[in-house]
Amino acid sequence: MTTRAVEAWTLEPLVKFVKEAGARLVLVMTSAGQVMAQHGFSRAVDVMSAAALGAAIIASTDEIARQLSQPPFAALNHQGERHGIFLGSVITGRGKLVVLAVYDLETSSLGLVQLFFEQLTGDLQAASPKEGVSKQVLAADFERELSDSLNTLFGR
Amino acid sequence: MTAPAAYGPALDLVTRVRGVRGAMLVSGEDGIVVAEQLMEGIKGGAVAALAASLAARLRRAIDAAGVGPTLFWHLQCDKGGLLVVPTPSGVLIVAVAEPDVNVGLVRLELLRAAEAVG
Amino acid sequence: MADEVKTLSSQLAQDPDSLVFLRLGELLRLKRQLDAAHRVALTGLARHPHLADAHDLYARILADKRDYERAFDEWDMALRIAPNHVGALKGLAFLYFKVGDVGQALAHLEAAQLHAPDDPGVIQALALAQGGGVGVGGAAGAGAGGGPANPSPSIARAAAAAAEELAPAAPPLEEARVFAGLEGAQEGLLLLDAKGQVLGGALKDPQGRDVTDAVAAYLAGVSHEAARTAKLLGLGQWTGVAAEGKLGHVHLTPPAGDALLLVVRERSVPMGRLAIIAQRAAAAARRWLELDR
Repeated sequence: MTTRAVEAWTLEPLVKFVKEAGARLVLVMTSAGQVMAQHGFSRAVDVMSAAALGAAIIASTDEIARQLSQPPFAALNHQGERHGIFLGSVITGRGKLVVLAVYDLETSSLGLVQLFFEQLTGDLQAASPKEGVSKQVLAADFERELSDSLNTLFGR
Repeated sequence: MTAPAAYGPALDLVTRVRGVRGAMLVSGEDGIVVAEQLMEGIKGGAVAALAASLAARLRRAIDAAGVGPTLFWHLQCDKGGLLVVPTPSGVLIVAVAEPDVNVGLVRLELLRAAEAVG
Repeated sequence: MADEVKTLSSQLAQDPDSLVFLRLGELLRLKRQLDAAHRVALTGLARHPHLADAHDLYARILADKRDYERAFDEWDMALRIAPNHVGALKGLAFLYFKVGDVGQALAHLEAAQLHAPDDPGVIQALALAQGGGVGVGGAAGAGAGGGPANPSPSIARAAAAAAEELAPAAPPLEEARVFAGLEGAQEGLLLLDAKGQVLGGALKDPQGRDVTDAVAAYLAGVSHEAARTAKLLGLGQWTGVAAEGKLGHVHLTPPAGDALLLVVRERSVPMGRLAIIAQRAAAAARRWLELDR
């Protein structure tokens, strides 16, 4: 399984997380759904769908929390029959990043993913460039940026 | 499994043994904390996740070896150890202990706690 | 000494039921004629199966031959017959030392002192221990174990090292097979690398089916998992996993590097004894791994 990153500083923390948590698929993205790194995906279309859905879930739950006058949820977990899906966010020098991880219940667990997600947040915070939040993706550039990112993520 | 009110007394059985630094109930499937009584400095979440992960691997190997379901296991380390009794409901009773703890006594109390928890 | 052996042998020949076999067996053991000592002790035991001293003698010979598992049984039997048998208490203390169970070693030494307050071996061992040093009094095979007063890991390690040094030299590997000569080598001992590949030994389930490959596959990564758990929880280095199943007992040890050693026995084998078996097998595995490098 390959691990690839659009921004190189995300690669090492992600590789470590995948190894320790035993995650099967992982996406690191901005809260707008722009993918920064991925592990385990074999098709660009899956990355695009997962990124869009993950960002939408985070946006929805952030809004629920806001309406309840609560701070945003730290993490979300969905336990399936064979797999678990974990969504968590981290504030880095590049702004808020969302991590989506799919793990196999035979080889990993929510506890392990949570434990090593804590480590991942620390590693991403330490590794992220401090020059500021990444620029907003403009509508005109969106398709080109997406295409560039996918090319990088799939080694094209 | 019994009600959460029984968890405290069950953990008391284990933590009163000299050399035990903490005791926990852990969800074996998820690796998350159900109840805990820990000394300062012990990370409950880490203990739960790692104990459950090791328990799952050991369970599969021990089943394959044909020695039946695991009743008790002890990870021995030079600065202490983890002692674990799985319950039929899938909860793990976990003790974090110092190296010179009376293993036989901790095992007995873990088994009693497992009976209390169900 | 040769004359004494001759004299005792002829006395024993004249009266096979006499207890002179105890002196003869011990003399032969001290002369390192272990096979002859073994035969004398077994003959004596056949005639005096309820004599604690006979079991003690046989245990000392077995310990000299590094057959610690059976030595444990014999000293255990001696204590069942005579619960205050000082030789057996010292012998078990020595064996507990060898597996690093300093608490049990000290408990046996203290019990020995209660019943033999003037025994120089016990006094020396305990005195050394109380001084904080390593106390191992007497020859290893004589079962004269001693122990540190404070069972800290460093002292335990030093004690185990001293006990190891005093023990008879390990027999050379009989052949290339890793567990050649060890009990259960083909049904209850398994040496694996970190990827779950079998390096030696074999495993059978209680029905006699070969489960080597299945168990090896499931154990792949256990060494890493145990090391990670110990590290992240601040427990230091992992030294073993003892597990109790409904039908049997299991002991896992890291003999060297990422290799993993598994010992499986039925439930009638106590966990403490299993640790001794595992230690012997681990020593064999270490030698084999070093030779293989």
